[in-house]
Amino acid sequence: MELWLEARCAVRKKIAFFILLGWLLLFIGDRIDELRVYQGAQIAMYTIALASIVLLTGYSGQISLGNGAMMAVGGYAAALTLNKLESPVWFAFLMAVFFSALFGALLGTAAARLSGPYLAGTTLALAVGLPEIANQFAFLGGVPGILFDVGFPPARFGEEFTQYKWFFWIATFLALLSLFITSNILQSRFGRTWSAIRSNPLAAELSGIHSSRMKILAFTISSALAGLAGAVLAMTISLVAPGAYTLTLSFALVTGAVLAGVSSLPGVLLGALILVAIPEIADVLANSWGGGENFSNYLPGLIVSLLLILSVIFTPNGPGENLRRHHHKKASEH
Amino acid sequence: MQKLLETLLIGVSTGSIYALMSLALVLVWRSTRVVNFAQAGQAMLSTYIGFEIASRTEIFWLGLAGAITAGALLGAGVDFFFMRVLFKRAVSGPAAVVAPVIATLGLLGLIRSIVGLIWGGEFKSIEAPASKDGFTIGQTTIPFSALNLLIIATVSLILITLAIIFQRTNLGLSLRASAYAPEIAQLAGIKTARTRTIGWAIAGGVGGVAGMLVTSYNFLSPYSLDLLLVFGFIAAVIGGLESMVGSVIGALTLGIGLTFILNYIGTSLVFIGGFAVLIVVLLLKPDGIMARGKVRRA
Repeated sequence: MELWLEARCAVRKKIAFFILLGWLLLFIGDRIDELRVYQGAQIAMYTIALASIVLLTGYSGQISLGNGAMMAVGGYAAALTLNKLESPVWFAFLMAVFFSALFGALLGTAAARLSGPYLAGTTLALAVGLPEIANQFAFLGGVPGILFDVGFPPARFGEEFTQYKWFFWIATFLALLSLFITSNILQSRFGRTWSAIRSNPLAAELSGIHSSRMKILAFTISSALAGLAGAVLAMTISLVAPGAYTLTLSFALVTGAVLAGVSSLPGVLLGALILVAIPEIADVLANSWGGGENFSNYLPGLIVSLLLILSVIFTPNGPGENLRRHHHKKASEH
Repeated sequence: MQKLLETLLIGVSTGSIYALMSLALVLVWRSTRVVNFAQAGQAMLSTYIGFEIASRTEIFWLGLAGAITAGALLGAGVDFFFMRVLFKRAVSGPAAVVAPVIATLGLLGLIRSIVGLIWGGEFKSIEAPASKDGFTIGQTTIPFSALNLLIIATVSLILITLAIIFQRTNLGLSLRASAYAPEIAQLAGIKTARTRTIGWAIAGGVGGVAGMLVTSYNFLSPYSLDLLLVFGFIAAVIGGLESMVGSVIGALTLGIGLTFILNYIGTSLVFIGGFAVLIVVLLLKPDGIMARGKVRRA
């Protein structure tokens, strides 16, 4: 079979797979209670956010500790579009993507010239500072933030169709769409180029890759994804406020990405699941130990940090790596 | 004219605290090639311990001594139990570049959660060792207070002590040697691993002082030292991350600059100003102000 025909076939298969996955998720969404549906929407949100880190760190090799800041840009862009222009909801999400991509392109232009610790520090500074900045300007609503109301689900879905289920549908659709697009980008020329830049920058330059341009592109796409996740987060809490896009969120995302295996796109589903499960587990633990308010406030952070430290020490490239290595060993023995 | 002088004085006081944090970051970077984001956490835990001592004995200086000791022990502990383990497991693959940074980040989160579990999130304050009321010259009262003066004096004392250690003692010589050329230092008989742990301990102690001084005119919470970390990092970058003198100059410049923005423009631009300085320095002079044509490592 000719190569392009094969590729088109693969894409068709992938589309079919994603549609099937979507149907399955909606089917599940109909059969679980409200809380789980809401958590489903959260998982979808984290999936998009983690995909943005996988693309940036796992492929192009740039580190960003400030994904919370990129999400904030998306969230604020969506809320301002929806409120000031009274636009339809889909347009607000589109603007979230657009403005965070713009922000990412600017940041990426600076970032492409930075390496390791410099980039980490700069993005960390952004994650610490952006909530402060949002506090200072009146049109961003200060500490209480601004409302972001996507409205009730369409009437034709019937009376039974709850608000949370509507969030879940929107979030799931956007997450599947993002995963589909991201996986295509990563398997394309771009994904391979990024991997080349990451694993050997000099060799990549010598084979004619314009590495800083490609790095900026990675930052732009990654930021666009993060911005979309930020808008989805705003939708699930009906609000954009500095308190929603904290340093803790940025750290949680890094943790999720490391747990997922920084360069594994399917892994983001696992990472997202863990991020949503941790507060739940922490709650159970806090209750059973009879701890006070401190316990429920700080236990999730404790678990996240411990997981992060342990996984960086033992499986820095994600749980998949050890399995693969094991597999290789077996294969070479035969 | 008077406002100008006030701004300058307050700026030096603020900048001198940044100097301590950026020194702590530089000390660790020189020996370990890691920007230790957990420094904010280590400083915070040390400050909480200092706070406990200071509030029980009602003597600030005992608290400060406690914070320095706790910081030094904590710093040495982090290097010994954490960084050595991390570097022993040589990381390869996509995570190789980011693993140490992410590890210090995890440590910051861990210390923050532990502090939160023990002390909770509410704001604590430490009785300042000197008056916060400004000096009165003739008829006018300026915002520069005895506390500000004391902060500058304390920081100066610490800087002088560090300078003596680094320039005049054998320990300082081995610290500099193992930062400059680890392999050659090792060949010359310096126990580089132990020297590195001592470097971490010094950095931890210095960070503890920074935390105590910030808290003496501010409040203490699990998040209160985040901004100090960011400004300390910016100051260290101005100095090129390698140079201790450069980072102190960077910190004072940053402190004065940000105080000017605060007094003449307003609070809303302070952080943006700091961030702009960071970006401009990184783009125009990425090796810092002290660079002498050397290529940046890492």
